[in-house]
Amino acid sequence: MYGGDEVSAIVIDLGYHTCKAGYAGEDAPKAVFPSVVGCIDQMDADDDKENNDSETNNSNADSNKPKGKRKLYVGSQALGFRRDHMEVVSPLKDGVVVDWDIVDNIWDHAFKDCLLIDPKEHPMLLAEPSSNTQLQREKTAELMFEKYKVPALFLAKNAVLTSFASGRATSVVIDSGGGSTTVAPVHDGYVLQKAVSSSPIGGEFLTDCLMKSLERKGIVIKPRYSFKRKEIQPGVFQTVDVDLPLTTESYKLYSQRVIASDIKECVCRAPDAPYDESSYSNIPMTPYELPDGQTIEIGADRFKIPDILFNPSLAQTIPGVDNFAEISPARGLPQMVIESINRCDVDIRKELFGSILLAGGTASMQQLKERLEKDLLEESPQAARVKVLASGNATERRFSVWIGGSILASLGSFQQMWFSKSEYEEHGASYIQRKCP
Amino acid sequence: MEAAVVDAGSKILKAGFAIPDQAPSLIIPTQMKRMLDDGSSVDNSMSEEVTVDPVVRGCINDWDAMEDLLHHILYTGLEWEVGNEGQILFTEPLCTPKAVREQLVQLLFETFNVSGFYASEQAVLSLYAVGRISGCTVDIGHGKIDIAAVLEGAVQHIASRRFEVGGSDLTKVLAQELGKSNPMVNLSISDAEKLKEQFACCAEDEIAYDRMLRTCETEEHTLPDGQVIRIGREKYTVGEALFQPSILGLEAHGIVEQLVRSVATVSSENQKQLLENTVLCGGTTSMTGFESRFQKEASLCSSAICPCLVKPPEYMPENLALYSAWVGGAILAKVVFPQNQHVTKGDYDETGPSVVHRKCF
Repeated sequence: MYGGDEVSAIVIDLGYHTCKAGYAGEDAPKAVFPSVVGCIDQMDADDDKENNDSETNNSNADSNKPKGKRKLYVGSQALGFRRDHMEVVSPLKDGVVVDWDIVDNIWDHAFKDCLLIDPKEHPMLLAEPSSNTQLQREKTAELMFEKYKVPALFLAKNAVLTSFASGRATSVVIDSGGGSTTVAPVHDGYVLQKAVSSSPIGGEFLTDCLMKSLERKGIVIKPRYSFKRKEIQPGVFQTVDVDLPLTTESYKLYSQRVIASDIKECVCRAPDAPYDESSYSNIPMTPYELPDGQTIEIGADRFKIPDILFNPSLAQTIPGVDNFAEISPARGLPQMVIESINRCDVDIRKELFGSILLAGGTASMQQLKERLEKDLLEESPQAARVKVLASGNATERRFSVWIGGSILASLGSFQQMWFSKSEYEEHGASYIQRKCP
Repeated sequence: MEAAVVDAGSKILKAGFAIPDQAPSLIIPTQMKRMLDDGSSVDNSMSEEVTVDPVVRGCINDWDAMEDLLHHILYTGLEWEVGNEGQILFTEPLCTPKAVREQLVQLLFETFNVSGFYASEQAVLSLYAVGRISGCTVDIGHGKIDIAAVLEGAVQHIASRRFEVGGSDLTKVLAQELGKSNPMVNLSISDAEKLKEQFACCAEDEIAYDRMLRTCETEEHTLPDGQVIRIGREKYTVGEALFQPSILGLEAHGIVEQLVRSVATVSSENQKQLLENTVLCGGTTSMTGFESRFQKEASLCSSAICPCLVKPPEYMPENLALYSAWVGGAILAKVVFPQNQHVTKGDYDETGPSVVHRKCF
């Protein structure tokens, strides 16, 4: 039992695209940074560099190369600086953590560099995916208690936190984030596991589609590090390409994705009706200025890309988009919602239809709510009253899981539910299954 | 009685009564010397005593020293009477941990018995000083650099960055460079600090800097202890370090590039408003040539919208950049305290230090 006192809890939500961390009780996370890290493998770096390798962690004077030692760069500042041989690595794969070392570094960065706190003094509330395995949870608990020595921990499911953020105990949560889209019904604060469905189409997939589509049209997105502006005459500027051959492919892709996702956020809108080539072939183009000064025009893609959420087979029409096998069984968003609700008990279906929540970065796309509501009205049973709720503020939608965690951790009635360090020491990590349902 | 406004920097502490459009009445160094016989005292005594820095990298570190410093400021400097303490407004840097804030509140209410308290972030206050509520601030202080984006008076933490480099690191670089070119001279850090303030400047752009490195005339300068030192291109190195942090040994982009990148994370409809209202503050920005170099780099940066600097209003005192956070605090104090939006002694007694998070944003 850990009775929380005035020391604030910390809420962390490690997503596929960004990691959000901050104090409970606040209305937005203080630390928001990418959840990918830059990684320089010492083996590659030592091959090129001769002596004076200031990057090595362990200063072995002899010639033995450190096996598998790598230097990680976490956070938007460190990641934004281009370094030779720096690869961009993600700790998550298909929603499951595969590299705990990277997760460790990410948490370290959040605590020490961004929030400036000592983890020993703050209880931690972590958000986890709705279909997290027992093994993952135990490993999380182990890492938190052993390494960071937190006084108390709680793992809450993303869907439940979003539900709290909107003040409802029963709802269907559509969490459309960077890596995937998950539809999870929540009833009285518990996720109905058998009805959770997820699809690999997320923000990053849409960004990739947009990038491939632009490449086909001959538009090259130059990453920020690859050009420099020179003033050849007063007032006249020229963009000069900078050649940096030792930059890795993954870093280049990462930098291009950052720019492409900005384009996506600015110009893309969900179309009112299912997309088809002919009706959108001559709509006015929207201009967008790239960082290097080039202005590009985007026309039909504005509506085509968001429609992939509703009709995944559209992605196949964009040449160059791989993983066909992955997406062909994927269903569109309205179908996923209907399917999910149909797997629940008949009694609660009406309530579920009436409170459908949108959360996640991709869900803050313009007009998405209206289009989803329209599609669901067509497909749902007659008697159901369909209502899609989304907070009007785009930032709130993006951080709704975190905000839910912030609300939960600051409730007085929650303070007795923490999984405390003494309980961990007494019962072990597997006790977490009992404490955090 | 007017409220008191205190801006505790890593090097210089600015304090005074809340009279905007005037410079703060007390501008004193934060560094103190410890007297071995009876605790700390704020004095420049002749003997070589241990120096104490209560504020390190922008954050209050040594609470006992801070208490003594505040005692001096409030009772001796501002002439408060014991038993009739007034209201006080404190400024704080970005990313101040909650625990630090609570401790400050506790110190002020319990030890000093103030009647009212308010805290605000320096970025927001610097913008108030130039008459804006939205914009970016680039605060280059002695201990840290804060780049903050503020929209309608609220700091957007997503788009704000802090660097643990500042004027003190520039001084170290200068000392190193001078040590290389003047091997005979014994230079102390405080001398290097004074030299930096007197001589440091920024080259017009990178090409001009490279030219300076090769051909620069040296001047002779006499230090207080009589030694003669030659300063040439080192003075440009100090300014350049802000635009090319590799001089400081850091792997990071220059100031303007960092500003542009962190603002790029905000949604695009606000980006224009933020970048076009950029304010430079902090002691280091008053370096000769810094502002024009900043504007030059701004036009060369990798962004569609270029940062534009804001001109401070004419009725503000000269050298606003040195204490713009203080002036903003004075403006805010005139609004907050009369309207009773601050933390009163009654609030503190009832709820405890955590009330500060609810009342002060």
